[in-house]
Amino acid sequence: MADVSWSRCGDTDCIRVGRLTGQATLQVRAESAAAHLPPMAGTVVPDGEDRCFVPRFAFVDGTTYRVVVDGVTAAVLVRPRPDLPATTEVLEIRPTATEVPRNFLRFYVCFSAPMADGYAAAHVRLLDHAGEPMAGALLPTEHELWDGDRRRLTVLLDPARIKRGLVGHRETGYPLRSGASFRVVVDRDFRDARGAPLRAGADRRYEVGGDERRRVEPEGWSLSAPRSHSREPVVVRFDRPLDAALLGRCLQVAGPDGRRIAGTPELGPEERSWRLAPEEAWAPAAHQLLVDPVLEDLAGNSVSRVFDRDLSRREDDPEVDQLVTLAFRPH
Amino acid sequence: MSEYGLVIGRAAIGSAGPIAFGPAGILFLADNTAAKVFAVDVADPGPASGSEPFDLENVDAHVASFLGCDPGDVVIRDLAVHPGSHNVYLSVQRGHGDAARAVLVRIDRLDASVTDVPLVDVPMAQVTIADAPAEDDERLDITLPQGDEGEEFTFGERTIRILRRPIRTATITDMAYVDGALLVAGLSNEEFSSKLRRIPFPFGGEVVDNNLEIFHVSHGKWETAAPIRTFVPYGGGRSILASYTCTPVVHFELSDLTPGTKVVGRTVAELGAMNMPLDMVSFEEGGEEHLLVANSTHGLIKIACRDIDAQPALTEPREPIGVPRETEDLKGITRLANLNGSHVLALQSANGGTHLRSLKTASL
Repeated sequence: MADVSWSRCGDTDCIRVGRLTGQATLQVRAESAAAHLPPMAGTVVPDGEDRCFVPRFAFVDGTTYRVVVDGVTAAVLVRPRPDLPATTEVLEIRPTATEVPRNFLRFYVCFSAPMADGYAAAHVRLLDHAGEPMAGALLPTEHELWDGDRRRLTVLLDPARIKRGLVGHRETGYPLRSGASFRVVVDRDFRDARGAPLRAGADRRYEVGGDERRRVEPEGWSLSAPRSHSREPVVVRFDRPLDAALLGRCLQVAGPDGRRIAGTPELGPEERSWRLAPEEAWAPAAHQLLVDPVLEDLAGNSVSRVFDRDLSRREDDPEVDQLVTLAFRPH
Repeated sequence: MSEYGLVIGRAAIGSAGPIAFGPAGILFLADNTAAKVFAVDVADPGPASGSEPFDLENVDAHVASFLGCDPGDVVIRDLAVHPGSHNVYLSVQRGHGDAARAVLVRIDRLDASVTDVPLVDVPMAQVTIADAPAEDDERLDITLPQGDEGEEFTFGERTIRILRRPIRTATITDMAYVDGALLVAGLSNEEFSSKLRRIPFPFGGEVVDNNLEIFHVSHGKWETAAPIRTFVPYGGGRSILASYTCTPVVHFELSDLTPGTKVVGRTVAELGAMNMPLDMVSFEEGGEEHLLVANSTHGLIKIACRDIDAQPALTEPREPIGVPRETEDLKGITRLANLNGSHVLALQSANGGTHLRSLKTASL
């Protein structure tokens, strides 16, 4: 019987087989692969008196491999699965508002480390006030929506059930019910990029209010001007909670020279306010808060349009897609 | 391949996404991690092929076996058929998390053998879909540029220049090549809107990246913008049939898609409640063009293009038009591609496995 073991060949993991004759054929298969299926891609490299199977694609942790010499099983090796400590956690579930509109569209789950894909559909759920799963509430995630470093997952409620007039809405109604609470639940078995589970599951409870069908109107916000020559924050208070991710990139302050004021932006409680503390003291001159019209509220209404527009309501006609400015002057 | 701007290089694909063939056997591959599209000469070795069907049971097991992993570690993200040899290309994600790797797999139509297509030292080109983040703050989409870029903007007596970056497409959901341009549909991970990008090919030095916002109207009463999940050009590329995340199937003319204009599509069907469009393909049979819509709940839905052209906008609530094929053997289909003039190739999940099945167009 050949001497078979996990080994290294150069800087690559391999399966090393000793005492093979020069003519022997060497194949490796995942244990799950039937005999008629193609063997694992790789090359057989002589190394002294041994021969090494170097895979084209790395061995997968936890997978069992069958080593076949001249058509006969020579060994079955299990690729060890490292015992990974659960260190990743859910940092927050946004929005942090306690009440969301009945036509609530999207939420975010923020993790402390990069995550693996393929787990969202099974491990992010909505539960109703009685703890029962709310089947069909979320948009199925054939394509998971992650940010660039895979720490923030975007989850959409099924828009077909929210948009008036569509079959989904007519037949099954809103995913949420006004006056009833629900919870967003993230299971502990959601895996991080290393393959480890979360330290703990997480959840956030929301109350459900009425519908929100108005455009986001910056003109209705209140803006507290800071004192000039200070580094106090300028504070903007909204008339309703807005989308946390979009707030991160849709608001900016231009100084008297038209340049962007550098500083530290911060979201207020329940995404109802935003503040910017400047790096340098405010000049006693006109400043502008610039609002990108893509900014949305929790129901997907933006500055330029409502989420689903009733064509008979002229006041809901889309606005020109251009920046909105709010002036302030440090006093 | 130099006529298409391809140069020898490495198509470093971080995440397997949609794939689609373009001219001269060039394959477009979307990378949703890097927000890029690569164009690769796949150097398909196969001979020109006829109109025979091709079927492969448990293609996921074949691919997993070749890749040395369990079928549960393989996700087939998309399917394309080489227009000359009719060899089958699969966009495959192997493994999860840090260990995940994107692999382009070719299945030989003649003997069902599996190989991986080299993506290093091959003729390739690439284009970035998302915009490079500003150096000082990656979160900002409005920037106040130092130079003359962007649009002039006046508030009060002051004029400033503002550079607004287009929507960030976090995830490319579908692509198609039409008449010198790659059309790319995507889902943003932030704003809920509908943009279809039209990227000229060969890729230019600078991305000409038109954002085309598309709306759809339900029953003449409601209008919304929504992300396009999947789409198919037909009528020689003149028309597009698109399906949205919220399931309406919407028609619009490609010529309507000019930058800066609002395009309102004509809703011709809804796929029904609790359903999700997955893929579409067009084919000709008996001198008439038809479309097939794969979806998560029903069997394949077949729509005659002349019915689309003849149908007024859907004004009353109505279940799927066309001829829904509710037979069991046409359920579970997740991806579609034209195999040859006589067959459509389907990727079908059934009986615990994933299979490649040829559907004879004359029988659909």
